[in-house]
Amino acid sequence: MLRYILIRLATALPTLLGMSFVAFAIVSLAPGDPVMQELRAMGVVPRPEDIAAIKAEYGLDKPFFPRYFDWLGRALRFEFGESIATGRSVMDEIGIHLPSTLALAVSSFIGAVTISLGLGVAAISAGRWTRAGLRGLTIALVSVPSFWLALLLIYAFVLQLGWMRLVGNGSAPDLILPALTLSLGAGASLGRVVYERIRSEMCEDHVRLAIAKGLSPASILVGHIAPRIIGPLATAWANTFGALLGGAVIVESIFGWPGLGQLILQAIAQRDLPVIQAYLVFMGLGFFITSLLADIIVILFDPQLRREVNHE
Amino acid sequence: MFKMTLAGRLATAALLALPMVATSIQAETSLTVAVKRDHYSIDEQKFTFTTRRPAAQIVETAVKPDENFLPSPLLFQSWDYADGTYSITLQEGVIFSDGTAFNADTAIAALRLYDQGRSDFLQINQESFEKTGDMSFDFRSETGSALVIENMTHRATSFFSTMTNRAENPVGTGPYLFESYEPKQQLTVVRNPDYWGEAPTVDRLTFRFIADDNARLLALQNGEIDVIDEVTPQMLLSMPQDGSVVLHESRPIRYVALLANLNGSAPFDIAQDYKVREALACAIDRETIASILFAGRGVPAKGILPGWMFNLGDDHTDGFGYDPVKAGTLLDEAGWVMGADGIREKDGRKMSLRLVAAYPNVSTVKPMPEMLEQMFAAIGIDIDLVEVDDSGVYGSTYLDTGEADLYMEFASNNNTDPTYLLNNLFTTTTPWGGYKFTAPGPHVDALLAEARVAQTREDVIDKVRAAHRAIVQDDLAAIPILMVPNFTLSRPGIEVPMSEYADWIDYGRVTVAD
Repeated sequence: MLRYILIRLATALPTLLGMSFVAFAIVSLAPGDPVMQELRAMGVVPRPEDIAAIKAEYGLDKPFFPRYFDWLGRALRFEFGESIATGRSVMDEIGIHLPSTLALAVSSFIGAVTISLGLGVAAISAGRWTRAGLRGLTIALVSVPSFWLALLLIYAFVLQLGWMRLVGNGSAPDLILPALTLSLGAGASLGRVVYERIRSEMCEDHVRLAIAKGLSPASILVGHIAPRIIGPLATAWANTFGALLGGAVIVESIFGWPGLGQLILQAIAQRDLPVIQAYLVFMGLGFFITSLLADIIVILFDPQLRREVNHE
Repeated sequence: MFKMTLAGRLATAALLALPMVATSIQAETSLTVAVKRDHYSIDEQKFTFTTRRPAAQIVETAVKPDENFLPSPLLFQSWDYADGTYSITLQEGVIFSDGTAFNADTAIAALRLYDQGRSDFLQINQESFEKTGDMSFDFRSETGSALVIENMTHRATSFFSTMTNRAENPVGTGPYLFESYEPKQQLTVVRNPDYWGEAPTVDRLTFRFIADDNARLLALQNGEIDVIDEVTPQMLLSMPQDGSVVLHESRPIRYVALLANLNGSAPFDIAQDYKVREALACAIDRETIASILFAGRGVPAKGILPGWMFNLGDDHTDGFGYDPVKAGTLLDEAGWVMGADGIREKDGRKMSLRLVAAYPNVSTVKPMPEMLEQMFAAIGIDIDLVEVDDSGVYGSTYLDTGEADLYMEFASNNNTDPTYLLNNLFTTTTPWGGYKFTAPGPHVDALLAEARVAQTREDVIDKVRAAHRAIVQDDLAAIPILMVPNFTLSRPGIEVPMSEYADWIDYGRVTVAD
């Protein structure tokens, strides 16, 4: 297994390198001069030598490739420089906002998994009309944009019922509405996967045998179906977690949640190149780590794959 | 005979004191102001943390703008300018909140600290400081400008104590003390009990950063915030009309105008003809636009600087009325004849103009671009409308390259230097690159250059007035459309002392009805 992980890490190097290049290139080649933008926003009249000095400070006066390799060398040491907009180090900025985003992503993920399991299992055991209702609900939740769902929840729980506040201070109760917003969409989407997987497993011989032996539905689900579907579900979970980590920008903005989403929105508006580049790298790393974990889980739960990996 | 035990006396005293305690608790007032973004920088080179709106409550400037945008005393009690030298007398009785005395030494140190930022904004010759007394000093402008004091009304020139690191613990002479700052969440200041001036009415000010327009409005309706500082036109359109939200406005200050490309290359050279620009100016129905946008609070514009500002007056520009017939005649005279498809032509060339709506972003002026497109179509002009919600793209793709005919901008002269806006947007020597395309030419360059070195304020204003007329009337480098106030929104019962200069809205003096 260790050998597999090492090989997987080695094969990921070109991908990560490519990802770093794309992150750097997209941001560097995008139109807009962050220095002039910042100076105009401040209402100051810069001298040409001032502009040149600031550009030199951020390395913006060098050609593209030397800049990329300089940046890559520092990025490998997790040194992304200073935020042009705030003057704080980029790692400080990420350190300030990452915990909030992680808290939101993890709680949304837990919510999404719970909802998906509930919806999937309920759909399997439900009658025809209930199943149709659940399917309609799932389609509605998957289709509704997150910002609209967020506003709907705000209207219901904040303005009408008064159970929660809209702009909190990042405390646990303030997490409920943004997490619920993200969980509902992601949970509905995952629920379809759970439902399809359980249905396909129910046609397998070992499940039919268990039914014939008279085992209870719960025993069959936990003892016979769950171990077989955990691998495919782990892949879907990994993708969902990665998406929750990087895709909560709008929801964070609406609820004023102080996470990376707010950071990146503002960084884009202010052409804060070091922050945008670091964000893209971190998101890429996040996806890589979650997919690696998913692969390991798939292997651990699939005896055939486990034998192959151990045999190699 | 009635005898009270000790316990009874204490209980009575406590009961009698209770109303006093309750009164003092009630007197504790707080205000939560929602602002769109946390864009503070702690970088010494472009320090904005706690100096820019809305948190500019901790530190103070040398002078503040009066109702006509003229400098009035604050930390400078008085000043005099003669032969290139500024003589300053400082306000007596002022102390920094850390107890440091405010005097000639600390004031000079604060001015030197500001000038570490690489900008000629202050225009002070750093070698010229000369202390003339405990509370007085002299300095000279490094450019020979008579406008240094005017520039000091900008919040960015606030005076910090040099005894502490202002990025971690900003110390100033202002009515509030820094309490806490949570990036992208909130900034809180509390009343300075030792403030030298008139005490503010609000004890605690919290500035909440809420990026989403809808969320700011909903939070106000839900009573979670008291005031919204940055109000977009969309918020005005969706503002509830049931009295649950109150609109506050200043005098009109911000202009919406079309800047014409006067120096572009083909195909972006059509607007170089004055008659074409005049036709465009006459084709705009400003009254209709004013009635639809900005909750009907905008007014048709005759210029881009309001008449009340700097005592410019309203009579040096005439403006352009809505006259589509005249617009058509002007285009005919310019050789642009109506084609069969309703689009004018000249020498086989269609009259198609690219209009870029982008600054500061298109959402701030929607749906004005579409309204103008219809108005120009009515006189046979095809508009290639480009809407960009990103000022960076606007700058590098359209403005710096001159690849458009008309640039719609929604901005204001946010500086009490009367030459600031005109010099940056309409001179060939502009430091803001792309605006060289909107420069009328040497005559405006000369007027503004003379204004910047003029030695009396009257002389400065005369030249600014002449340059302004050239830009919005005689040369029509800018086609004025609307003048728009600054807005804030609040819950009912709150009175916000509005200022046209958004950095100078004094939230410490907001009054809250019981």
